[in-house]
Amino acid sequence: MEHKIYLFGLNHKTAEVEIREKFALTGFNPVSRNLLEKDGPVVEALVLSTCNRVEILCVGTQAQEQVREKVLNTWSGFCGADPDLLSRHIYFYTDREAVRHLFSVAASLDSMVLGEPQILGQLKDAYRKSVEERSTGVIINRMLHKSFSSAKRTRTETAVSSSAVSISYAAVELAKKIFGDLNAHRAMLIGAGEMAELAALHLLNNGLKEILVANRTLERAVELARRFKGQSLCLEDIFKYLPQADIIISSTGASSAIIRAGDIRDVLRKRKHRPMFFIDIAVPRDIDPDVNQLDNVYLYDIDDLQEVVEENLAGRREEALKAAKIVDQEVDKFEKWLSSLDLSPTIVDLLSKGEDIALKEVKRSLRNLPQGDEQTRKIMEHLALSLVGKLYHEPIVFLKRRAQEEGSAEKFVDLARKIFNLDEEEIPDNAHIEKKRK
Amino acid sequence: MLSFRILDLFIALLYLSGAISFLIGLIYSRKKVQDVSVSLTLTGFVLHSVDLGLKYALGLGEVLTQSQFYISLLAWTFLLMFLLLWWRLKLKFLSLIAAPLALLIFTWSLAISPATLPVPGLLQGLWFGLHIGSLFVSIALMAMAFGAGLAYVHLDRKIKSKSRLGNVARDLPSLSTFDRANHWAVFIGFPLFTLGTLAGFIWAAFTWRTIFTWDPKEIFTVGIWFMFAWLFHKRATGGWKGKKPAQLAILIFVLSLISFIGINFFTETHHSLRP
Repeated sequence: MEHKIYLFGLNHKTAEVEIREKFALTGFNPVSRNLLEKDGPVVEALVLSTCNRVEILCVGTQAQEQVREKVLNTWSGFCGADPDLLSRHIYFYTDREAVRHLFSVAASLDSMVLGEPQILGQLKDAYRKSVEERSTGVIINRMLHKSFSSAKRTRTETAVSSSAVSISYAAVELAKKIFGDLNAHRAMLIGAGEMAELAALHLLNNGLKEILVANRTLERAVELARRFKGQSLCLEDIFKYLPQADIIISSTGASSAIIRAGDIRDVLRKRKHRPMFFIDIAVPRDIDPDVNQLDNVYLYDIDDLQEVVEENLAGRREEALKAAKIVDQEVDKFEKWLSSLDLSPTIVDLLSKGEDIALKEVKRSLRNLPQGDEQTRKIMEHLALSLVGKLYHEPIVFLKRRAQEEGSAEKFVDLARKIFNLDEEEIPDNAHIEKKRK
Repeated sequence: MLSFRILDLFIALLYLSGAISFLIGLIYSRKKVQDVSVSLTLTGFVLHSVDLGLKYALGLGEVLTQSQFYISLLAWTFLLMFLLLWWRLKLKFLSLIAAPLALLIFTWSLAISPATLPVPGLLQGLWFGLHIGSLFVSIALMAMAFGAGLAYVHLDRKIKSKSRLGNVARDLPSLSTFDRANHWAVFIGFPLFTLGTLAGFIWAAFTWRTIFTWDPKEIFTVGIWFMFAWLFHKRATGGWKGKKPAQLAILIFVLSLISFIGINFFTETHHSLRP
């Protein structure tokens, strides 16, 4: 029976979070849960369960309905929920579509945040787990390896994951574009807030040397400084410390600008005109927009950063089209391999049957020779085997070409197996007598 | 001589492929293409060194009186400075400016027929060598500052105006890297430029018994020297960083190029390289 690839899944597009939670497959083991059974409809399986998607990839050998029923029942059984509810929310792909879906998931083209890098790691973990549980076989192994390499290709050949798509990352990316290496630079955090702290954290993770924290209440400044292992200072002292700060993240609740272009002119002189990067997250703004007019000073407010993020997202969507083409190419390659898979056992069978016959005939002929020495035996064997090779060469080339050109040689492989009787079936003398009568 | 002709053409071909492939690698942001391109340029540079060395060794004295040799040497110096900055600052990007410039100037050296310059006397040879050598290195450094300056101004404008960074801008090094290239070019280039100019005047004093001859080249060079001195002073005393030095470096290099090509070839001057 031929092998067919199936993929069942729920994701953020087809099911809301309650459903995804209900049908999560964390800790599901396809072997111990009897999804894979001897002589069962499913022979290989892989389970991916993350907060945005739950998917079962499997290879089945029986009719589609049986595979589907088996998978959905095992799945809903594990979660203790209604199989009908599950089947209302799942998507279901077979063969080429299933391969394409998996490759798109690996390349992060199906993610909520297009191009985010985590999914590939999650998929790798899922694969490692399934290998340990021995639930995968030839097809899924190859499929996963190919999904990883195609994901790598999309990442290096397109910019689908290259630009920042969150405000704090966008700020870090800009800082790197201005300063290069951040490990000789200081940032000053004026005021606090979730986004400002996140940006500070990202900067530190990217090698920033130190963070100065200024706050209206000194206790809060001290507390934050301790968290970031930095210095704390009073809000009144910021101008004293600004010459030391390369990156300034401001998010106070002040009702008017607290930093003006005139102030910065002095600061720049003290800094010997080394560049400064102001990130103004506050609404209303803390920093006078005229600051951006000064040479070597760059000012981004929350709207600017938001715009950068939007543009980057649009850029990623554009790149995703290119990435999808790469995925298609990789899917083609995988399909080609899949079809040759059906072919190779047939070729092996064909050649070994021919060789059997040849060697038998050599033995028989040797018996009829008066004095067969070692040399003669070798020559005759060579003759017989090369005859077999030459005779079977054309049919094999024919099968391979069909497989390449039509994507599958199933029907010809089947015919060849019948013509040469490779399955060693006993055929009755008048097997088709009824057909003739019709 | 024919074998030299073939070697020269081969070098030019390497520079050409290096220049074109780097542009392609930059536009399509392919790191590998850029690496191949730099290796092509490097191979060209190595062969070019051999070429210059052989010409010097085989025709000692005689080749020093041919303008061809000096122009070829200038092309070689451009690449030498590019290599220096690449090594110190990892500024592979400057290959974009170095390879085409080397190609242009080297091809030009091939195109002109050998002209003979006034032969420097034995004693004056030292001053002449110093004049040529240090001026070439400083011009090559300014060429690198020119490339870095263009990139700086472009990137600075992009970031200031908050417009989207395209593929090329995204792959560019940071603003501070370009500023460091400018820093190097100014702090090494200016003293060499001064030294080279002074050596020229001293050589002139030996050769023509007068220091300043109101030659157009001399007037132009003194003008450039004052701009260069201004840039050096502003950087050294801590006033200038970033955009202004970048812009001034662009201006200084363009003027130097005008001086080198325009004056040496199209006006009556004793710096004439005309055949």
